Amino acid sequence: MQRRIRRRYAAERRFRVLGAGAVILSAAFLGFLLFTMVAQGWRGFTTTELALPIDLHAAGFHVERARLNTPAADLALASAGLEDAVENAATSAFGPDGATLIAPSAWTVLRAAVKRDPAILERRTVVRVPASTAFDRALAGEGTPAMKATVARLQRAGMVVRGFNWTFLSESDSTDPVAVGIWGALKGSLLTMAITFLIAFPVGVLSAIYLEEYAPKNRWTDLIEVSINNLAAVPSIIFGLLGLAVFLGTWEIGGRVFGPMLPRSAPLVGGVTLALMIMPVIVIASRNAIKGVPPSIRDAALGIGASPIQVVFHHVLPLAMPGILTGTIIGMARALGETAPLLLIGMRAFIVTPPDGVTDPATVLPVQIFLWSDEVSRGFVEKTSAAILVLLAVLLAMNGLAIYLRNKFETRW
Amino acid sequence: MSTAFTPVSHKMSARDVSVAYGDNQAVKNVSIDIDMDKVTAFIGPSGCGKSTFLRTLNRMNDTIPSARVTGEILLDGENIYSADMDVVQLRARVGMVFQKPNPFPKSIFENVAYGPRIHGLATSRADLEAIVERSLKRAGLWEEVKDRLSDSGTALSGGQQQRLCIARAIAVDPEVILMDEPASALDPIATAKIEELIHELRGRYAIVIVTHNMQQAARVSQRTAFFHLGQLVEYGETDNIFTAPRQERTKDYITGRYG
Ligand SMILES: Nc1ncnc2c1ncn2[C@@H]1O[C@H](COP(=O)(O)OP(=O)(O)O)[C@@H](O)[C@H]1O
Ligand SMILES: [Mg+2]
Repeated sequence: MQRRIRRRYAAERRFRVLGAGAVILSAAFLGFLLFTMVAQGWRGFTTTELALPIDLHAAGFHVERARLNTPAADLALASAGLEDAVENAATSAFGPDGATLIAPSAWTVLRAAVKRDPAILERRTVVRVPASTAFDRALAGEGTPAMKATVARLQRAGMVVRGFNWTFLSESDSTDPVAVGIWGALKGSLLTMAITFLIAFPVGVLSAIYLEEYAPKNRWTDLIEVSINNLAAVPSIIFGLLGLAVFLGTWEIGGRVFGPMLPRSAPLVGGVTLALMIMPVIVIASRNAIKGVPPSIRDAALGIGASPIQVVFHHVLPLAMPGILTGTIIGMARALGETAPLLLIGMRAFIVTPPDGVTDPATVLPVQIFLWSDEVSRGFVEKTSAAILVLLAVLLAMNGLAIYLRNKFETRW
Repeated sequence: MSTAFTPVSHKMSARDVSVAYGDNQAVKNVSIDIDMDKVTAFIGPSGCGKSTFLRTLNRMNDTIPSARVTGEILLDGENIYSADMDVVQLRARVGMVFQKPNPFPKSIFENVAYGPRIHGLATSRADLEAIVERSLKRAGLWEEVKDRLSDSGTALSGGQQQRLCIARAIAVDPEVILMDEPASALDPIATAKIEELIHELRGRYAIVIVTHNMQQAARVSQRTAFFHLGQLVEYGETDNIFTAPRQERTKDYITGRYG
């Protein structure tokens, strides 16, 4: 008897230790992931800039003032040799290898400055231009000894300025790691998610309502139920193939060619494809939430003459809403992190301008991360981690929204 | 069997009503008349089909897919199972109170106002407030809740919840009120209040109450119907049923021969 009790306690203790161990292990993995991402990614949010003294007038740079206010201003400044003027200024300010210290896009900073204030055409001024990737890497401790020496020299001269990388949040993809930004991909993700939500939520919830409240229970509805459960487990790349075939494919019917239905690489087709993918998740979660509403509430409403639709929309749906929203956000989070199906429907293009609408070519955060992680240039490593941090932040925001909505709709019994 | 009462135009009449759940014949050929200003009690051992039959009277059985109802039920001479009977309208005329109090998880006010609102009974907010107040007063709940109408209906005690459900049913101005063991989940004091309330409501509505408690049937009803194994065994004035039952089975039940 005593032995049995002791054995039970020991088993109890063992189980608790195992459970705690499992929690600690998963927390450790999570902590490790976050730590590496932050350790690598924080540099992605900083910029290295060089204070470049430049005197365009003395350099003999000339452009007609009148053209600066026209749409052709960019062209005028480029053809007047602004890029060369900037490189020359870098050489005279930073030494013979000065042109390699500034980013290839540095002259566009000056172009913007001139358009803002044409007066700098006439006098000496100092502009901050982004440093080249090689310079930036050397500052981070990776590079040739010569480059490191240059970095040290310019740092002593007070010409190196570090700051928060607003460009990373406001620009899009680029071939130059110091000039890349996440905004294009973020906007692409938001547009894609909007399409996904607008399709998957109403269709998913209405299907769940129909299946739970209206559909007769027979072999057909059983078949549908099994199919939905299986669909939720289908690998996402299959949905990509489906999207590719259905929305981007062409058919020849009676000698005439139809399709493609939707534009390639656009948030519209991505959103529709992801909507197909997460719909089963929403249907299953919504059905469970609807099942959880006590039948006595339906009886109560029916008993005073509410129509079936009124029962659903006045009583069942509000009470099921917390569960429906939780399921929806889980589905949306899955869609937000999805890469494979979007690669198939062409959202992996090199996109330098953020999409203006759901039919413009776009990419999304996880695909952008995938593309950057594939780049050879070292500068992309920290950008990749920084992009992952942005993706995690969006996920966190979505989960926060889920918790907020759940508490808001929660009914106190 | 059935007993004919005067007057001849009854509020509700069931003719040969049978209900089956799949193969299970729960109610068999029941014919009965229900009149205004009377409380009719359905008694009988558990599982004998009282609830099932009660639910045919406002077609709540429609919500159970396996339930099949045959026969005819007339409300003011009109068959409620005919194709042109609107179920929503029917349930507004024949209200129901359930065994377990089931207020909506909304405010007390909203609980009572819901019915009038969906049936468009109030033309203004003041109108609606008047209906809510009148219904709560008739249900004997007004004094207890008038200062906290915005509290949740589910925060009330069990007995108060049940009276709230009665107020909710009254608010749509029904002609018949069906009650399925309305006090079985309540303590004796709350039960007494419900019984008292049934007494007061008698003059306005035809009330049908299912109970497995014979004393309760004797206390609140003027007519009693005894059900056994899905059949209506005996129906008559409550006093007669309890003092001089004509059927052997009724007598056995009343004298406690079976539960
Ligand atoms: N929803 C239902 N589905 C299937 N059978 C039911 C259902 N409700 C009741 N029954 C059956 O019908 C018979 C009568 O039940 P009921 O009307 O609830 O009896 P009572 O209210 O007199 O206790 C019982 O045999 C019961 O099992
Ligand atoms: Mg019952």
